Amino acid sequence: MNQEPAGLALKCATAFAHPILQLALSILLSAAAQVLLKLGAPPSGGEGWLGLGGLASAWTWLGILALIGSLFSWLYALRFVALSVAFTLAGAVHALVPLASWLVLGESISSRRWLGILLVIAGVLISAKPATAVEEKL
Amino acid sequence: MTAWTLFLIVLCECASIAGQIFFKHAMTEHWSKSRRKAAWILSAGIGAMAVNFFIWLSLLANFELSRLYPFEGLNRVVLLCAAAIFLREKIPPQLWIGVVLISAGVALVFVS
Repeated sequence: MNQEPAGLALKCATAFAHPILQLALSILLSAAAQVLLKLGAPPSGGEGWLGLGGLASAWTWLGILALIGSLFSWLYALRFVALSVAFTLAGAVHALVPLASWLVLGESISSRRWLGILLVIAGVLISAKPATAVEEKL
Repeated sequence: MTAWTLFLIVLCECASIAGQIFFKHAMTEHWSKSRRKAAWILSAGIGAMAVNFFIWLSLLANFELSRLYPFEGLNRVVLLCAAAIFLREKIPPQLWIGVVLISAGVALVFVS
């Protein structure tokens, strides 16, 4: 009976190690990082062009952590997924960042920009097919 | 936009593509055989990414993001070509269609 929780933990670990999940995590973290860095950035400029004033904010550090996490998930996913597929799917960042800026930061989105976001989503969905083929090869 | 700027943009994009190729090469060819060699190639990848980052910063300081971002869209298409040539990846037709849609989308998002 004691085996059950261990079995569940193993199942969770196996699911977490799935390359497509890690790729998705990497993409989400890198989009989240942009929003976190923006939240941490001092309003209009701050000191110096490097924007080091942002380092005083906890948001900025969370953003940096998200970027590091994103890199590790990305490298792990690359062990199993073709670079061409992974990089194309990572294009989703260009839809996620404007959407998150709209939802979290309250920035406005023009109609032309909505069209661009829809095109990016369509492109990612079409490219996702080869990714499932990669999955079968594992 | 001068020839020098164009050169910087091309260099910036090449560095980012080289970085990704290094990452992929390290993780597939070397990670399971020699961690030390993989670490060297990963460092080269991180170096290329750093070059990309600092050139991009200097470009951003001089040009509007909406003028620079279409090159980011183009970058995705060039990366597919580089993956096909250097990593011998087979690119399925859906991926070409997908990347063209994404690039067009990226251009629209950032030009507006």
